[in-house]
Amino acid sequence: MISTLTRTERFLALWISMAVSICGLALAIAGREDPLLIHGLLILLFGLVCSYIVMFGYEEKAPGTERLSLYYDEPIKAGVIFAMIWAVFGMFMGVWVAAQLAWPDLAFDAPWSGLGRLRPTHTTGVIFGFGGNALIATSFHVVQRTSRARLPDQLSSWFVLVGYNMYCLIAVSGYLLGITQSKEYAESEWYADIWLVLVWVTYFVLYIRTLARRKEPHIYVANWYFLAFILVVAILHIVNNLAVPVSLGHAKSYTVWPGVQDAMVQWWYGHNAVAFFLTSGFLGMLYYYLPVRAQRPIFSYRLSILSFWGITFFYMWAGSHHLHYTALPDWVQTLGMTFSIMLLVPSWASAGNALLTLNGAWHRVRDDATLRFMMIAAVFYGLSTFEGSFMAIRPVNSLSHYTDWTIGHVHAGALGWVALITFGSFYTLVPVLWKRRQMYSPALIEWHFWLALAGTLIYVFAMWNSGIIQGLMWRTYTEEDTLAYSFVDSLKAMWPYYVARAFGGLLFLIGAIICLYNILMTIRSPDKAESRDDVPHPADLALAGE
Amino acid sequence: MSEFFHRKLERSAIGFVLAIIAAASVGGIVEIAPLFTIDETVEAAPDMRLYTPLELAGRNIYVREGCYACHSQMIRTLRDEVDRYGPYSLAVESKNDHPMLWGSKRTGPDLARVGDKYGDAWHVAHLTYPRDVVPESNMPAYRWLARTELRIDDLSEHLAAQRMVGVPYTDEMVKDARADAYAQANPDTDGVPGVMQRYGDETQVRAFDGVTSQLTEMDALVAYLQILGRLTDAAHKNTAAPETSPQPLD
Amino acid sequence: MDHEFWVVFSKSWGLFYLIAMAVAVVIYAFWPSNRRRFDKAKHSVLEREDEP
Repeated sequence: MISTLTRTERFLALWISMAVSICGLALAIAGREDPLLIHGLLILLFGLVCSYIVMFGYEEKAPGTERLSLYYDEPIKAGVIFAMIWAVFGMFMGVWVAAQLAWPDLAFDAPWSGLGRLRPTHTTGVIFGFGGNALIATSFHVVQRTSRARLPDQLSSWFVLVGYNMYCLIAVSGYLLGITQSKEYAESEWYADIWLVLVWVTYFVLYIRTLARRKEPHIYVANWYFLAFILVVAILHIVNNLAVPVSLGHAKSYTVWPGVQDAMVQWWYGHNAVAFFLTSGFLGMLYYYLPVRAQRPIFSYRLSILSFWGITFFYMWAGSHHLHYTALPDWVQTLGMTFSIMLLVPSWASAGNALLTLNGAWHRVRDDATLRFMMIAAVFYGLSTFEGSFMAIRPVNSLSHYTDWTIGHVHAGALGWVALITFGSFYTLVPVLWKRRQMYSPALIEWHFWLALAGTLIYVFAMWNSGIIQGLMWRTYTEEDTLAYSFVDSLKAMWPYYVARAFGGLLFLIGAIICLYNILMTIRSPDKAESRDDVPHPADLALAGE
Repeated sequence: MSEFFHRKLERSAIGFVLAIIAAASVGGIVEIAPLFTIDETVEAAPDMRLYTPLELAGRNIYVREGCYACHSQMIRTLRDEVDRYGPYSLAVESKNDHPMLWGSKRTGPDLARVGDKYGDAWHVAHLTYPRDVVPESNMPAYRWLARTELRIDDLSEHLAAQRMVGVPYTDEMVKDARADAYAQANPDTDGVPGVMQRYGDETQVRAFDGVTSQLTEMDALVAYLQILGRLTDAAHKNTAAPETSPQPLD
Repeated sequence: MDHEFWVVFSKSWGLFYLIAMAVAVVIYAFWPSNRRRFDKAKHSVLEREDEP
């Protein structure tokens, strides 16, 4: 890793690591009477470990200029592995939390193991840990290949990747310690948020610099999606996290937004994190890895452009559908509902574009589990965007909101779309990165595929059932015009579904562990590919199905 | 013309970036900007009280433990919700909330009006081990709250930060935050009249966890739960009728 | 700048912006001379070479 950095970059890397350590030390001293102490020490330790790694490789031979004629793939390799480690961690937390809902005593008599503290470690672990690392890794790969340009330097990409993982680590450990802003999907506190801004700005600049070096006048559409993801997430993150810390020695801060405005800003953030983190970025993945794996160009390039602008424009209006029938003004609710329905057009255009790309190659989808991951992802993308628009309609929302239906919807998108497209992309990417002919075990990919699909379906069906039952029980009246069921009645009715959900999640987790194992074994396998082709040979694709 | 424009945009990645910002920011601006002037149209609630330092500390525990993940604090304008939980929530009720805790999921019931619905002893027993009180409950147990001392030495800083983001705490409130927190949970001490004078006569002063010897996190959390929905009467005076839930299955 | 002003502004200009944006994007996507560029981009990801 260090051997690929130039002398100047090693010097800078050391300097940055030291600066991080000093910041950690300063936080620890300022927050010595606060949970901030632990985070200060954690940051200090992280900085010291990075310094040690840099110093350890400091005297290695510097890379020559021949590096400039190759793509820079080292950080991508690390990103793929980080993503899978976070996936296993985040999904394990998810299974634990799900099990706690069915068996509430499955916790220790310690504050950190309560459901309220574990839940954000699950959401952050899978969305930011798994999803974020996957996006960073694949975006570095796609931008280099489609621009036919190497990343402009070696250090920035490592700063983005390592810095981002430090953010995830601070965030997740903070929730266990009780450090949280309570803003869903943005729970991390002020100092972690500031650090993420630094990382993200570097990411953005790096991306733009790489694009500026491209050999083609046209920017390939996958990069548009990645760029929108990077940009808009920055805007959302900064606006939603504006806060005043209690003091520089406190982890705790208070958001600047009061009541109604806070709710609107939070769901403008929350919904667009789904749009630009979990949709736009992963569509970027889809528009590159699907054509490459299928060895067919995307069905309609024009359609991909139209849906890009549609998604970028419409999504931003849709957040208020999270606040139907609340104290938010009615016209804002109506606007949110209208745009949510309009969103269906660009969403289905993307899903259809992906499926039509595969039209004529169905035999390959049948034989190649990797391609099947991507196809099912596109199907789930279509289904969950339809469901999303449907649930944004006010009367439907009156039933679905606050119930497990929302959880089912989110997981149809997160498991069925986000995770499956990522697995499909990784199975395409890993042999390319490590220059192997194919993955270590095609049979394990098959196993992973069926476990993931079964897990998703069990999960989603359980939550649909429980959500609709909950919603109906809460609003059922007796003939005497009183409420028919107490809240506890509805809770009792949930039990079998909570068990089923935990089981579905467990299947999905096992699949992810298999994926991590398969990737690690591919790296260890001696089977080097002879050619340096960037795409699998048709012969390998056929092999993968055996 | 537009085509020429787009090609130029695309050729320099920066232009493209600006186009994305322009496309993406409008929705947010159009929906959010008007909300900052909404105070002009929000119901007035002259009787609105502020959270006492003890209640604010309790609220922070509610946030810390992630209670919002399973409990909403937002009663929608639907008849069944009003029948189950009480008058629907008004914007003004959360105008001093940084952050808001409306929530998005009801694994447990809504808590917007839970204040005074149960006694302190019920809350203490329930938080200690929920299934002792509600056998079917799947809520986690929070036993350690009753044995953890509440940190009050920095409450002045908390109130000052709240004031900085717009909550109208007075200098006196900020200065006496620590003493007020202590007095609110110790009804026989000298500080009580000061609390009543600063935060209103309806402020609840008692040993919330049933023990006066130590000020615990349990005291603070129960004090907070008991004030939920009771900072103003505005919602009870509101006369607009809630909507009947649409019944698509009828 | 009172509340009414912002609401009217939002309800009218948001709409114009939406339409102008949609028209511009459709024109760009279907402009005849862009066809070749799009086709090239479409096939570019399938080219097999692994050097910048």
